[in-house]
Amino acid sequence: MAGEKEIWQKIGEGFVQEYYNQFDNTNRMGLANLYSPEACLTWEGSPFQGREAIANKLISLPFKRIKHIITEQDSQPTIDSCILIMVFGQLQVNQAVPLSLKVLPINILRHVTYTCPMLL
Amino acid sequence: MMAEQPLWEQIGSSFVQHYYQMFDSDRSQLGSIYIDTSCLTWEGQPYQGKIAIVEKLTSLPFTKIAHSITAQDHQPTPDNCILSMVVGQLKADEDPIMGFHQSFILKNINDAWVCTNDMFRLAIHNFG
Repeated sequence: MAGEKEIWQKIGEGFVQEYYNQFDNTNRMGLANLYSPEACLTWEGSPFQGREAIANKLISLPFKRIKHIITEQDSQPTIDSCILIMVFGQLQVNQAVPLSLKVLPINILRHVTYTCPMLL
Repeated sequence: MMAEQPLWEQIGSSFVQHYYQMFDSDRSQLGSIYIDTSCLTWEGQPYQGKIAIVEKLTSLPFTKIAHSITAQDHQPTPDNCILSMVVGQLKADEDPIMGFHQSFILKNINDAWVCTNDMFRLAIHNFG
């Protein structure tokens, strides 16, 4: 018997879908809108602070096309009414062999903290 | 000249070290780091509250466990919590070594850092 999804799962899935749609199917300029002005990004261990710095980092990543394939995602509510999301999957860059990927975006009511895509 | 580590990194890495030390030596002690409103998602299954979480962790079907951390990242959150993400390897009993990922949200309550959110997955899930 499949239980109905919790609200944080529904919101989490909706966000993840939109995020990777922006990431994979656009020029990534719209990704900035998913982050709050004070958001934090940690990309492969390097920190980026604020929407502008994050947008610049994501737009300047050295590939034209990327495809994220999500294999699993977990969502939890946090004490301050935010949502913690963990995503696992694979990514394909410029048609190269898929690499394994784990990313952890946090969707906070007004802002997004995206952290650590780590390439294993 | 090396810059001093930001506070959230010091707290995060100290917590992570303590967590895995406890996990690997006696995981029944882990109750001290969770609270009644903590959430754990273990391999996709949700557990709510300190008691349910400790019950799950102590009932895991291995006697010996050793975690080795490959990388860890820490960030401050808007509400003065800390987000910590760990990538590493683990060996349970005589099983082969496996990769794992774990994320924590830490909150300061009465001068102690507790874990309010915990997500764990083995690295097998990276592959479709």
